[in-house]
Amino acid sequence: MSTTTTGKPIKLDSAGARQLARPSSLWMDSMRYLFRNRLAVIGMAIILLLIIIALFAPTIATHDPLQPMIGLPGHTGRLQAKAPCIHLLGCPAEEVEHYLGLDLNARDVFSRIVYGSRVSLIVGFLAVMFSIVVGTMLGMISGYFGRWVDNLVMRFMDVLLAFPSLLLAIVIVTVLGPGLQNALLAISIVSIPVYARLARAQVLAVKEYEYITANRALGAGPIRILFFHIFPNSLTPLIVQGTLGIGGAVLEAAALSFIGLGAQPPDPEWGAMLSEARSYVFTAPHMVFFPGFAIMITVLGFNLLGDGMRDALDPRLNRI
Amino acid sequence: MLLFILRRLILAIPVLFGIIFITFALQRLIPGDPCRAVLGERATDEVCDDFIERMGLNEPLTTQFTIYLGNILRGDFGTSIRYGRTIVDLMAERLPVTIELGLAAMVFAVLVGIPLGIISAYFRNSAIDVGTMIGANIGVSMPVFWLGLMLAYVFSVILKDTVLALPPSGRLPPGFEAVPFFVQWGLAPDVNSASPLLIFLSRLNVLNAILTMNGSLFITAIRYLILPAFAVGTIPLAIIARMTRSSVLETLGQDYVRTARSKGLREVFVVINHAVRNALLPVVTIIGLNFSLLISGAVLTETVFGLTGVGRTLVDGITTRDYTLVQGFTIIIASAFVLINLFVDILYGYLDPRIRLS
Repeated sequence: MSTTTTGKPIKLDSAGARQLARPSSLWMDSMRYLFRNRLAVIGMAIILLLIIIALFAPTIATHDPLQPMIGLPGHTGRLQAKAPCIHLLGCPAEEVEHYLGLDLNARDVFSRIVYGSRVSLIVGFLAVMFSIVVGTMLGMISGYFGRWVDNLVMRFMDVLLAFPSLLLAIVIVTVLGPGLQNALLAISIVSIPVYARLARAQVLAVKEYEYITANRALGAGPIRILFFHIFPNSLTPLIVQGTLGIGGAVLEAAALSFIGLGAQPPDPEWGAMLSEARSYVFTAPHMVFFPGFAIMITVLGFNLLGDGMRDALDPRLNRI
Repeated sequence: MLLFILRRLILAIPVLFGIIFITFALQRLIPGDPCRAVLGERATDEVCDDFIERMGLNEPLTTQFTIYLGNILRGDFGTSIRYGRTIVDLMAERLPVTIELGLAAMVFAVLVGIPLGIISAYFRNSAIDVGTMIGANIGVSMPVFWLGLMLAYVFSVILKDTVLALPPSGRLPPGFEAVPFFVQWGLAPDVNSASPLLIFLSRLNVLNAILTMNGSLFITAIRYLILPAFAVGTIPLAIIARMTRSSVLETLGQDYVRTARSKGLREVFVVINHAVRNALLPVVTIIGLNFSLLISGAVLTETVFGLTGVGRTLVDGITTRDYTLVQGFTIIIASAFVLINLFVDILYGYLDPRIRLS
């Protein structure tokens, strides 16, 4: 039984005892802290919801996202850019419901937005994955080997960073040709330097630790040391930056599609939908409002989670 | 200090060189025949041979690059194929639109963002603070072009016929004649005979209005600027407010703030002169870094608001495959970006001696 300086025994209730008994790791602590952060939980909920919508898009969508409603039963009169029709809100019962209205080609906006979540999530994840993989490799190699390798790689990264990111992405897509795949590639290339710098800084910090020296003494080669010992220990900032990066990538993909360099019609992509609808903002605002709102919510989700993770994983913040 | 500036200047040279190199290389990477990529699929062989000869595309790449670099150093960025005018002329005409928009957006972001950040930090966890931070989170998540479209809708459709109604596109109403200051001052008889610099300055509507003492032009130009500036400025505003808040929170907890309070200084002085003054350093950097956001914001917003600035010209250049224009504009914008970052670096060194000496 432990005692205090006054000699009185400390009473441990069962919860306290469990807390003492449970081995705590940085990850466990961080996760617990993350779940206590209300904004981060909201972010997580948004992302989870989006993933569900994307996975079950065929079930959730009320119509075919590519099918014009012209000539279908229950559709009469002028259908292009028709305003939303919801029965609960007073839309006549004989008309077919379209929660968010129809677009210029009389396609269901709600279904297009639902399917658009697939495009945005995939582009966001893939773009960030690609730039993390390439950026981390470059950064680790440059940090571990130093000297001229470091100089060459990092100066090249400096030049890439010297371009405003959207401008560089635009130029790259111009060279590769418009399209969603090329836009994705451009967005990833543009953010490679961010991850390269992060990974390099991490490697520089970690490689001086004794356990790395010990590994080297045991005869481990540079590749083994880099990938099995340095990499796992420098993951944290990459994960945080990556989460925030997904939001950024979704925004950039939408922007590229908006200026006609990303997804091409008739693909249901949010930026492309905005681009098609932009001249009609004064007459049919529903076509502009909802896709943009979807982009905003998605980006907000990743930003909130990313901010929360930064706070949770930052060991400098002292907390109990 | 001089040594510090000099060192930073020298460091910027390879980056500038790299920008030119990458832009050059990217243009050469465009798949397929460069002639038909520019002139269209139906260009005849004769026309193409002539084009390749004229553009020097049959020379070895190293020679091409040397010639290209030499031209740029002399300020010759080539001639736009679509407009038939030099890139410098086009820049002089269109850059003012973007600069005016960017400056207005920045002024808006700083004037609103910094006070909001300070108030949020001072009244931490109050309704104002929570509201500002939620607003800031939403602000950084919004697509600029969407915000622009929605603003245009709200202020020119919903608020039509009220005092708050604002024009949704353009820089001046159609038919509005603005006399350039150089004509009024007798520096040049008309626009055609003025130098690019004079044209550049006169196209800054607000500046031109001040120089010609034209009140109605001033008010009209500002009214047309409000919506686009609001759209472009929102993301920087959100970032500046967040940065100011966390930075002021940090300084408010410092010992010297407590000392200032215990000396009996008035609270306003404590906050402004002690906490905020020391908190603004990181904010300065953030403001500089936001230039990138301004550029992308301008590219997207100009398209929405029908402004013929650098961004819109660039996007048009891409769709019409005007590669000389894209190349020239990219180099000029990226170089301006490097120079602004350099300026921020130097300013930072000036404000914080520790940076300069390290």
